Amino acid sequence: MKIIPLATMKFFRIKDQHMWTLFVLPGTLLLVLVLGFPAIQSILYSIYPEGGGPSYTLNNYSVLFRDSVFRQVFGNTVLFVTLSVASHVLLGLGVALVLNMEIFAKPLFRLIALLPWVVPDVVVGIIWRWMYDPVYGAFNDLLLRIGLIPAHVQWLSSPKLALLSVIFVNLWRGFPFVMLILLAGLQSIPRVLYEAAAIDGASRWQLFVRITLPGLKKMLVVALALDIVWEVRRFGLIQTMTQGGPGNITEVLSTYIYKQYFQFFRFEYASAVAVVMTAALLMVSLPYIWMISQEE
Amino acid sequence: MKRYRLSFFVVLGLSVFFTISTFVYAQEKVTLRFSDWHLTEAPWDKTLADAMPLFEQRHPNIKVDLEPVSYKDKEPKYTVEIAAGKGPDIFHLHAFSLPMFFDKGYAKDLTPFIEKEGGAKFLEAWYPLCIDMMKHKGKVHAMPGDYMSMVLIYNTELFKEAGLDPKKPPKTWDEFLEYNIKLTKPPERWGVAVLGAKDPGFELRFSPFLWSFGGDYLTPDNKKSALNTPDAKEAFKYFIELYTKHKVMPPGVPTMNAQDVRTQVAHRKTAMEIGSGWSAPIINAINPELKAFDVLAAAPLPMKKKRVTTIWLSSWVMNPNTKHPKEAWELLKFITSKEMELNWFVKNRVTSSRKDVSEKAPEILNDKFASVIASQLPYGKVVPQIPQWPEIMDAFTTAVQEAFTEMKTPEKALADAHERINGILARKK
Repeated sequence: MKIIPLATMKFFRIKDQHMWTLFVLPGTLLLVLVLGFPAIQSILYSIYPEGGGPSYTLNNYSVLFRDSVFRQVFGNTVLFVTLSVASHVLLGLGVALVLNMEIFAKPLFRLIALLPWVVPDVVVGIIWRWMYDPVYGAFNDLLLRIGLIPAHVQWLSSPKLALLSVIFVNLWRGFPFVMLILLAGLQSIPRVLYEAAAIDGASRWQLFVRITLPGLKKMLVVALALDIVWEVRRFGLIQTMTQGGPGNITEVLSTYIYKQYFQFFRFEYASAVAVVMTAALLMVSLPYIWMISQEE
Repeated sequence: MKRYRLSFFVVLGLSVFFTISTFVYAQEKVTLRFSDWHLTEAPWDKTLADAMPLFEQRHPNIKVDLEPVSYKDKEPKYTVEIAAGKGPDIFHLHAFSLPMFFDKGYAKDLTPFIEKEGGAKFLEAWYPLCIDMMKHKGKVHAMPGDYMSMVLIYNTELFKEAGLDPKKPPKTWDEFLEYNIKLTKPPERWGVAVLGAKDPGFELRFSPFLWSFGGDYLTPDNKKSALNTPDAKEAFKYFIELYTKHKVMPPGVPTMNAQDVRTQVAHRKTAMEIGSGWSAPIINAINPELKAFDVLAAAPLPMKKKRVTTIWLSSWVMNPNTKHPKEAWELLKFITSKEMELNWFVKNRVTSSRKDVSEKAPEILNDKFASVIASQLPYGKVVPQIPQWPEIMDAFTTAVQEAFTEMKTPEKALADAHERINGILARKK
């Protein structure tokens, strides 16, 4: 029997200029399967009435925008993300600048600075929950010993302090990521620029404003965009520390969705919240995607 | 040489035989996935791990894989797995999660298995209330497990230190407040710790306050909130003021979970808690130096208008996706058998939903904790068994936290919860 190679058959013959489709196809199919399917499924769920299809309705969205708790949760998320990202960038930039200088045991300090980022969210949450404990907590004990507070403080039970206390932990936990990106950016700025400016008599502040910041601009945008996306999705830390309490003071979109879906079994409503959250995230990340595509 | 060749073939033959027989045996052996939050808690973890080899010994064709899950994560984990067509064959839930699982079809109907065991006669061994709570549309969809009432757990030594008679625990909520004031000496000690976190254990501890004052969460038909009654308002205010006005609870109560409370008791930071059969063993595991079994005592909960307490009932559920229903039923029968229910009590001090254990076993009748717990079962009440319950309880604990932290007055927080709960109940399912 004569074996005919598939490629010689007319049906299977592909022109050279179309060969790329073959190479792109597996990856595209995988993406559609992994990303597209759940996304479409979520959108479909969000327009089912509570209790399931088959009819379609926008009632979940209408309920969502009228719900005072959702509005509070949305506001909490904006505050949490804004303060977290701003503090990550400030501290990350500061530490990156220090670690970019010629200092003693630089690799060791870089390693130490990265450590909080390596620890999983849940572990960080549990450790800090104990550290904040008003009776046994090491944090109160330390601050009392150095005289910064006059009495034990209820960090996670106080409506004024709960969200800030979680953000403080998130600062500690998340700044190394921004620092890492900015450190890479700092190392890519040619040293000759600093040397030339120094010869011209530029001060340290002028060097920072005129050379360092413009040199870091792209890296800053990347770090900001990625950090915003990550912080909107932050779940384990808040869930283990406060579960959204006291009241709804520390409830953010991710914990709210989890609660609606897994604790209340409101699949359709939770999907509507998830769709709104994704839309908000897309609005934030689109400029980043646009910037990357412009570069290409 | 000839002998060596013979030995070689004998060894080869035996190897082939054992390989094939092991393969065939492995093919026939059924593996069941068994998941329970108790597997993350001492001393339950060891008790369960010790019991399973006994089951495997009696059923050589069944192997049981133990899958620990945290108390709080069990519902999300099982929901996702069952929705995906997977999940453990047998899993453990508290009874108040059952309506949600029944509603979604996440519990297998056990009627055919029960019929084979003798039907109604087989079920006679359990308390009728417990069996009723396992039913969905008239059919049994789960088997009852631990059955306990909530009681007052207190430290007799701290009572003596405060000049209180440990043999005379508080009988009314007014007396309870007086005792608390005498026991509280901050920052060393507080009277009582009650969890204030959004945790399923909250309602077990709070409900006796509400019910005893004559209030309730919902109207009898479960269609409206009943939190606007004077009794409910009085109970809520009394509970909140223990923390905000009288300061007899330790700081941090709004975020405390059950384990935090037990830690406070274990380290003599608080003198009382509302607990049950599991309290002494867990407190003992946290701090063996306390000698919890000697130092702690149990008493009926104080009362106001009527004596009432919350019922704790756990349940064993068979996954509708199980590929081995016969074997899973055997495991269910084993863990709810008279022998094992007594074993759970002896090792973990939890009383049983089986009458032939809780009402007859001398080990239970003579135990200083179990005897009190069993005596309170007739005063037991269960929270409403409706699918919206977790959401209602979340709205309620939000109000408790808002009042604890003085974000709102108790009256305003309760009124807001009342409105929200009515909104939840009015929503079409």
